[in-house]
Amino acid sequence: MIGAGDIKQFQRRWQQTMYVEAVFYAVGFGGLVYLLTHNLFYGIIGVAIAAVIAVFVLKPWNISSENAVAYIDAHLPQAGYSSGLLLSPAHELSNLSKLQQYLIAEQLQPVLSKLRPPHNLLRATLAMFGLILLGLAGSFILDKVESPLNATPSNKEQITFAPKDSLSATLKIPELTGTSITVEYPNYTKKAPLNTTDPNIKAVQGSRIVWNLKFEGRVKEVEMDLMGERISFTEKKTGYRLSKTLEASGFYSFTFKDADGNDYVSNLYSLEMVTDEPPMVQIEGLDNYSYFEFDDDKRLMLNTNISDDFGIADAYIVATVSRGSGESVKFREETLSFDNAIPKGEKLLQLKKQLDLDALKMEPGDELYFYVEALDQKAPSPNIARSETYFAVIRDTITDAFAVEGNLGVDLMPDYFRSQRQLIIDTEKLIADRPNISEKDFKFRSNELGFDQKQLRLKYGQFMGDETEMQAAPGQVSSTEEGDTEEHSGEEGEEDLLDGYSHKHDNENEHNLVEEHDHENEGQVEEEDPLHDYLHNHSDPEESTLFEKSLKAKLRDALNIMWDAELYLRLYEPEKSLPHQYDALKIIQDIKNSARIYVHRIGFDPPPIKEENRLSGDIEDITNFDKQEAYAYQMSFASTREAISRLEVLIKNESSFSDTDSALFVDAGNELAQKAISEPLKYLKVLQGLRDLEKAVNRTEENYRMVQKNLLSVLPQVDDNPMKKAKYQDEINLLYLKELYIYE
Amino acid sequence: MSDGVVFLNQHLLWPVVLIGLLLFVVFVWKEWSQRKERRFWVKFVAAFSAIVSLVMIVLKPSTHQEATRGKAIILTEGYRPAQLDSLTAIYKRIPMEEYTKGRTLSILEDADSLFLLGHGLVPFDLWQIQDKSVAFLGGKKVGGWTAISSNRNEAILGESLEINAKYSNPKIGHLAVLTDNGGNPLDSVPFEELGEQVVTFRTTPKVSGEFVYHLLVKNEDGVLSDEPLPLKVVAGEPLKVLLINTFPTFETKYLKNFLTERGHEVLARTQLTKGKYKFEYFNGASNPIYGFTSENLKDYDLLIIDTDSYTGLGRASKAAMEEIVESNGLGVFIQPNESLFRLGDSNSPFKFNRDFLTEITFGELEQTLQKYPFTFQEEVRTQEVLVDSAAVAAYVPVQMGKVGTTLLQNTYQLVLDGNEPLYAHIWTQILNSMAKEQQNVAEWSSITKYPRPDQPFEFELYTALNDLTVKTDEGEAISLLQDDLMTHKWTGTQYPRKTGWNQLQVSHDSIAPFSYFVYGRDQLQSITKSETLKANYRAFGKTSSFAASVSATKKELVPISPLWFYIVLLLCMGWLWLEPKLVD
Repeated sequence: MIGAGDIKQFQRRWQQTMYVEAVFYAVGFGGLVYLLTHNLFYGIIGVAIAAVIAVFVLKPWNISSENAVAYIDAHLPQAGYSSGLLLSPAHELSNLSKLQQYLIAEQLQPVLSKLRPPHNLLRATLAMFGLILLGLAGSFILDKVESPLNATPSNKEQITFAPKDSLSATLKIPELTGTSITVEYPNYTKKAPLNTTDPNIKAVQGSRIVWNLKFEGRVKEVEMDLMGERISFTEKKTGYRLSKTLEASGFYSFTFKDADGNDYVSNLYSLEMVTDEPPMVQIEGLDNYSYFEFDDDKRLMLNTNISDDFGIADAYIVATVSRGSGESVKFREETLSFDNAIPKGEKLLQLKKQLDLDALKMEPGDELYFYVEALDQKAPSPNIARSETYFAVIRDTITDAFAVEGNLGVDLMPDYFRSQRQLIIDTEKLIADRPNISEKDFKFRSNELGFDQKQLRLKYGQFMGDETEMQAAPGQVSSTEEGDTEEHSGEEGEEDLLDGYSHKHDNENEHNLVEEHDHENEGQVEEEDPLHDYLHNHSDPEESTLFEKSLKAKLRDALNIMWDAELYLRLYEPEKSLPHQYDALKIIQDIKNSARIYVHRIGFDPPPIKEENRLSGDIEDITNFDKQEAYAYQMSFASTREAISRLEVLIKNESSFSDTDSALFVDAGNELAQKAISEPLKYLKVLQGLRDLEKAVNRTEENYRMVQKNLLSVLPQVDDNPMKKAKYQDEINLLYLKELYIYE
Repeated sequence: MSDGVVFLNQHLLWPVVLIGLLLFVVFVWKEWSQRKERRFWVKFVAAFSAIVSLVMIVLKPSTHQEATRGKAIILTEGYRPAQLDSLTAIYKRIPMEEYTKGRTLSILEDADSLFLLGHGLVPFDLWQIQDKSVAFLGGKKVGGWTAISSNRNEAILGESLEINAKYSNPKIGHLAVLTDNGGNPLDSVPFEELGEQVVTFRTTPKVSGEFVYHLLVKNEDGVLSDEPLPLKVVAGEPLKVLLINTFPTFETKYLKNFLTERGHEVLARTQLTKGKYKFEYFNGASNPIYGFTSENLKDYDLLIIDTDSYTGLGRASKAAMEEIVESNGLGVFIQPNESLFRLGDSNSPFKFNRDFLTEITFGELEQTLQKYPFTFQEEVRTQEVLVDSAAVAAYVPVQMGKVGTTLLQNTYQLVLDGNEPLYAHIWTQILNSMAKEQQNVAEWSSITKYPRPDQPFEFELYTALNDLTVKTDEGEAISLLQDDLMTHKWTGTQYPRKTGWNQLQVSHDSIAPFSYFVYGRDQLQSITKSETLKANYRAFGKTSSFAASVSATKKELVPISPLWFYIVLLLCMGWLWLEPKLVD
């Protein structure tokens, strides 16, 4: 088998080429997978899978020697379509064939090694690079798409340090290799500790925050600068550690020194404290006021929803029963628990309670005030929230009316003195409504008002002792047939049934409102009280006359005007009636006011001044009084304002950054930090900008501009303060002012 | 021709005549041998004529002639092509030249009646055509900001600043925004569809120093134009206040607290009894004051005195007070009570009308305050002090000083109500208007409103000082020109090199340096155009025809054309050259 080895070799080469091809495809696909996932493991798996698939598709083992022979025959003319002979064992061949075999073996020997098996290597290479390019493009696009989502954490999550002063480039800067921040929430919140690298922390009040910083290279004095307060880290094996309980919002930054004593400072980060909200208590389906009659079923269904951000510790009802009124009122407070038990730590609770007023031993006239109080689990002192107060009242069947005491000068006037104003309001309303209502309705209402006006007049008339010649007021019985005096008839208004039999001084239409005691009246009284004649006691407030004499005339005027007012109302001319009503009201107001003067009658009587000694005191011992004081006034945010001016100079590049500037910017930062506590996020940028100026690299015009802009945007207005201004007075101006003054 | 001939090169007359004579003598001597012949005399005349011609060529004789030069067109920025077309249609082949800022116009030699088209020549180039007859025809309307002014030269820290600006051709939907130097918006005004709109911005500077605010025009898409608005903000100085009361009142107490807490130097004197006083010295005040003398009053900026003390002043005290008010600028604030409103003309500088209103309302929160039921009578001299556009106080200028009072009473109620800012606002307005103004030794002002680099910037300096040397940033001295009539007024010109803030310094330490803002070439173009337009209208009027008299009476020296002399010279020389050949 001369030359068979060559054929075999060619066949192997062919197979190898195909394997290489498969490897190219596999590498291409694997590269694509790796670039898209950025994960080497996936990449290797991709390579393996692709390789297997490619090998199975290409099937290099299928390349047999026959294939090789066919290929050689087709491509090498030297083979003379007889290369197959080379594979046949010599003994199977005829002599001619042997000769041919020998000839071909001779001829093929030099050519065969140069013959390249059929291959698609170029295609495979292109495919590989194509796939890798595709992977690159894909990963680029993915980056773009993901960056908005991931950028914030990836940019912010790291603490970065920068040296305070510019350092020589050769110096090795200690590097922060690991940051871990653990936020341990208070136990009651039942929140798992949070491990983060983001130094901007937002946590619940009372949380414990632990910072662990690892450095590469030697560092010392690692400190946290929390709003000017410097807290040192403790050195541990694993790095530097600081733990702190969150009590207030603020800002912080880290500083450290390297072995050579250079200062490094980090950016400014915010520390935001979230306060634990008190629970929310809502009572549903209940009016603020509930009224019960004595024989009602006096039960209230109380449905309460309580919610809290971290869990409710307890809830109960506080009920207060009040009994009696005025000075004799008594309170009784009880704490009631809900029907269902309260599981601790629930965030949302629905509680029910049936309040039985009878069980609370309430009687008619008693009032119940109750509200729901809820506590959350905050330690050490829980937040307490309470609902609105609800009222439940059992109506009393009898009520004691509140009577005006005769000797209280201020409360002298009965309520209906106000009703003239009400009449005016109604009349005006009627006039306003006129276009919208029917003629009949209008006339009806006008007439009604006329009636009311008459009633009012009659009521005032009673004070005057007018005869109530009309049976106008409801419940009033005509007293015309009684031959009584005017004064007497005044009392009939309300208590006509008793009229004939009693003479009460303390009934509603108080007798003492009438201007004077008539002797005729006295005569009447005599019958009831034989002693009255002898005890006519004007100092008794019950009996004294509270109206001055002129008041009678005034009231009479008022009554006359009321007549007119009524007349026009009856004539359906409310417009004409109005001025009269106003006049009447004015006079009644006068009367009321004059009654108030009574209060002023009691006053302080100063001891008499001895005229001869007046203003003759000896003042020799009195000396001048001197007092000296100084206030240090500084304009609000003075350093900040100065910093802005200074920045303007720096922007113009008229002078370079100096140490005093550094101090100024720190001062400005401290001023603003005070204000920033309430709104950390708004001020973070400004404070960060100011802080950045401490680093030499950041002292650029752009940064100056940005800091200045931010400072201006948060700076409040200057306080109002009068100031001396500079001005140049020209001689011509002075001359003018002088002339102006002379020829004024 | 009646005025005779004038040589343009008059200064060369004698040397030239002498040389001519010498030449002639040499010629005569050369030809002396032929003196007997007739041709000698012909030659003699020819040579004389030639030499005279030569002399004339050098001396350039000229005659007074009525100007007979033509019209010309000067094109400046913003001319209307249509206008130019119609002009060229009327005046065929009229010469025209385009004007460039700062360059001399060559066309002026040939023309004396000029059509000036466009926005005109910049003010410092106007001299070029000052003596010509000019018809200024104007140009395209200037769009954009055409004027910006502010209520103060220098803004005062914490006091409101009002900036008025005029905008030409505004568009609806556009917005004018005033921003501070950092770019934070302060105030904005929407534009309306008008030919010209005046917008007013109000702001209160928060920081003192030299800043450049910005005036933006915006629409929804963004900023359309951004013009700089230089602003110098200065801070005031605390006052020295003398407070005189016959008896203590809450009003005085709170006013005193307000002033002392804000760092002013206050001496408060309250009468205890006859001849005995309570003196309170705050923030460094010292030396008790019993009677007023011009000596002890002159250091104070403000005298706050109650009505009783004011009316009860002795003759000497009153005279001293009045003198200091007149000559030194002391401000006097009279704390009113009922009797002030009843004082006669001789005792009180104010006149009141009764208005029966006892309350006044301020602010958005509707804070009411008690007042005396009077108003100030309107008079020429009475200046009202407005708070929220209500006249709460007034003052009367008395030469350099001011005497004022208020209508408000019990303002301390505001402090009790917790409205301290309003209290501070009201009293700041009132006291600011009356307090003495510090006397500056000098005042600067710029005549050129919008200086540009490498263009003249004219300024004025008012001062009573002499021997001034003004120096620029670069240390170059600028000489000043003193005004003939007003010896305090000095003017000077400077050619600034750089844009932005520039400074002029005076050798005297007492005069503060003057800062002025130099605008870049592309900044505030529209204003400069409109200023140029205005300056040209001022210079040439609005008539579009020539002043006839100018061209009629104008006579100019016109040299006799040297061509004639050349011809004579050539002929004579030709004869002298040809003649010997003819003879031979």
